[in-house]
Amino acid sequence: MNTVISTRGLQKRFGRTIALDGLDLTVDAGEIHGFLGPNGAGKSTTIRILLGLARASGGEATLFGSNPWTDAAGLHRRIGYVPGDVSVWPNLTGGEAIDLLSRLRGGVTDKADYESRKQRLIDVFQFDPRKKGRAYSKGNRQKVALIAAFATPADLYLLDEPTSGLDPLMEQVFNREIARVTAEGATVLLSSHILSEVEELCDRVTIIRAGRTVESGTMAELRHLTRTEIAFAAESVPMPFEEIEGSHDLLIDHGRVSFTVDSDRVASVLPELARLDVKGLTVSPPSLEELFLRHYGDELVTLGQAARS
Amino acid sequence: MTRLAVLLRQRARRDRLQLALWLVGTALLAYASVSAVFDTYGDAEDREEILGIAIATRTILVFRGTPNGIDEGAFAFFLLFAWLALMGGLMSTFLAVRHTRMEEEQGRAEYVASTPAGRILPTIATVVHGVLANIGLGLLIALALIGNGLDSSGSLVAGAAIAASGIAFLAFGLFAAQLFRTSRGANGASVAFVLAAYLLRGLGDAAGTPSEDLLHVTPAWPTWLSPIGYGQLTGAFVENDLRPLLVPLGFAVVMIGVVFALQSVRDQGASLLPGRAGRATAGPVLSSSFGLAWRLNLSILLSWTAGGIATGLLATSLSSIVGDVAGSNPQVIEILRRAMGDDASIEQAFVATFYGVVGILAACCAVQVGIRARQEEVHGTAEMVLATRVPRVRWLLEYWVVGVIVIVVVLAAAGIAGVLGASRASDPETLIPNVLEAAAAQLPACLVFLGVTLLVFAFLPRATIPLGWTIVGVAAILGTFGPILQLPEWLTELSPFAHSPVPSGDDTDWSGGLWLLAIGLGAAAAAVVAMRRRELTSGGG
Repeated sequence: MNTVISTRGLQKRFGRTIALDGLDLTVDAGEIHGFLGPNGAGKSTTIRILLGLARASGGEATLFGSNPWTDAAGLHRRIGYVPGDVSVWPNLTGGEAIDLLSRLRGGVTDKADYESRKQRLIDVFQFDPRKKGRAYSKGNRQKVALIAAFATPADLYLLDEPTSGLDPLMEQVFNREIARVTAEGATVLLSSHILSEVEELCDRVTIIRAGRTVESGTMAELRHLTRTEIAFAAESVPMPFEEIEGSHDLLIDHGRVSFTVDSDRVASVLPELARLDVKGLTVSPPSLEELFLRHYGDELVTLGQAARS
Repeated sequence: MTRLAVLLRQRARRDRLQLALWLVGTALLAYASVSAVFDTYGDAEDREEILGIAIATRTILVFRGTPNGIDEGAFAFFLLFAWLALMGGLMSTFLAVRHTRMEEEQGRAEYVASTPAGRILPTIATVVHGVLANIGLGLLIALALIGNGLDSSGSLVAGAAIAASGIAFLAFGLFAAQLFRTSRGANGASVAFVLAAYLLRGLGDAAGTPSEDLLHVTPAWPTWLSPIGYGQLTGAFVENDLRPLLVPLGFAVVMIGVVFALQSVRDQGASLLPGRAGRATAGPVLSSSFGLAWRLNLSILLSWTAGGIATGLLATSLSSIVGDVAGSNPQVIEILRRAMGDDASIEQAFVATFYGVVGILAACCAVQVGIRARQEEVHGTAEMVLATRVPRVRWLLEYWVVGVIVIVVVLAAAGIAGVLGASRASDPETLIPNVLEAAAAQLPACLVFLGVTLLVFAFLPRATIPLGWTIVGVAAILGTFGPILQLPEWLTELSPFAHSPVPSGDDTDWSGGLWLLAIGLGAAAAAVVAMRRRELTSGGG
């Protein structure tokens, strides 16, 4: 299988701040790779290095086997990019910005084909291209970048928190576009700090924290790391409540019973919940922050102490 | 009242460094210049002679003031007042826009307006803040004059004149902030207004009627259109008449009334000049990164070109008036002969002075192109462009090319305007080549500012905007006002503008231009090459 993105021990320092501290990331051709980490973990820095907008301080990074810093312009022919915080030109309309970016990417050689691709995206994203850039909300600025990225076919899409600012309906449109481009053979690197979003889309996931890779694997491989929270109304079950087998962290508070189970064992507690006929049942997927607290809490504490001393 | 106090304190806190620099810096310059004036022109005879030359040549009057006798105070007032009022005007309009339109543009005004302070009180606080700043400036300048041993009542009248014209400019700045949606637009209109006020009173002085003894001038009507002009009409140190100041103050009251009327009817964040619905697809210009750089700098180019055209037209159409006046007065011709040598033509000197200003305009335009590159980087839009097939080196090179184009366009527009204005001159055949040479002579110095701004962008990106403006501003002050302020020659010589060739017939010395050309191209080349190793900074971080 072809490796599209490969970094080994990637480092990046900004003065005395260490943004990346030995980051390993491998993305194979054709996969949708989730790039997960809390805010400030180094996701955007990594993507900027992969785009040749920033230069690595150490380690190596290759994109399609080339150096992203020295071969930037050549590599960019094959890349579609959506920045984490999309800015548009205040005095250009959204339509102008989309056309400009598409032309700069060289995607308009077949004019009619480009126009129909663009028009379809404008329709599905329900975007008004006639407004000036300064008048767009965050979600609409995001749409400018998404439409420009998807209107020109690319081998690799680098998407930095692409759904931030989109409403749930538009997230579904986005998911369909991702499915379309991967069906056409493209590779996608999708950064996020929301685990459920990555779970829904991605084949494989790399989790980073403080500039370092902490986990990498398929979603199934990572399932053991997470616990799902289950909660329901306390009045619907007889008290005292007996702990269900395989559950952890039982808590009865504010009229709610809540506990957690390993995410790959959620189905095993459902028969018992059905037997109890619980009311107001909620099943919440774990947040990334919880995952970090659970598995790396000790490290966080020691890091905190080191920072204070 | 307490809310107003909170808002005032916040303004004072935000401005404490910036405003202190404007106030103390301007007052110190006033103090130093006045004492330098008396070192050079200590004797009444010296002052009498220089006034005679100034009135004879008229060029000097455009950049100085209304001659009002050889009294020490009146002489200092003549040399410095218009320049100090210009500084006070820029201070006031920047202050007005900073606390109104810029706050709205950045969304901060919305937070404040959501509190009980509301939409109107912050503007009231800005008016009070600006008026206090101008009173402070007037007092400090009066102190600087008194400190030089000048008559205290005259000094206070001069300070009051500075404050009154500054308050008029403050009101215009607030008005422009209502009119425009962006702080850039409001600042541009305000600076144009202040410069126009400066030049109008210059025209009034230059076209005024000299007295028989060549020591006084009665200014012509353009002076009555300028707040700075009314400041001069006080005749500080001689007539000490405060009544003319009622005109700029009255203008300020009316303007501020209009500002509150406008603000009470419009939406927060909106402007009176609304944006139009735009095009859905991009035109052919937006097909390349060069096209984008051109498009982003087009409005900058148009406004500076308008300034260049106005200055060029003034240069030649006025030079004919000057020639007429001088030619009809044998006493004037005698003074000129002594001062400038037999060969010098008044018209040539006049044209060279005005095209010096055109050079500053073109250099500012070029600096703004370099600053636009930095704004694209900070704003994050450069990142979107550089994530496509555009290489970093080419991207900056294209900004340089746009910079060269804007310089050439501003200079050419001013040159053509000068040729048009020369049609009524007594001797167009010699004036026209002189005008074109004077315009072309500004090119090398402008290239230096373009190159240096890009060099700062490449090596000290965060400093691009403050350093870019500071370099061109200091160079313009040293180059144009250095001789007026009696600064030492080595200091004046630091300014590239001081080295621009001055066309004077057949024996023009072009060597300074060649040096400037080499420096300008070298700096640009170094900046472009440095982009090979330069990272893009993200979001100002």
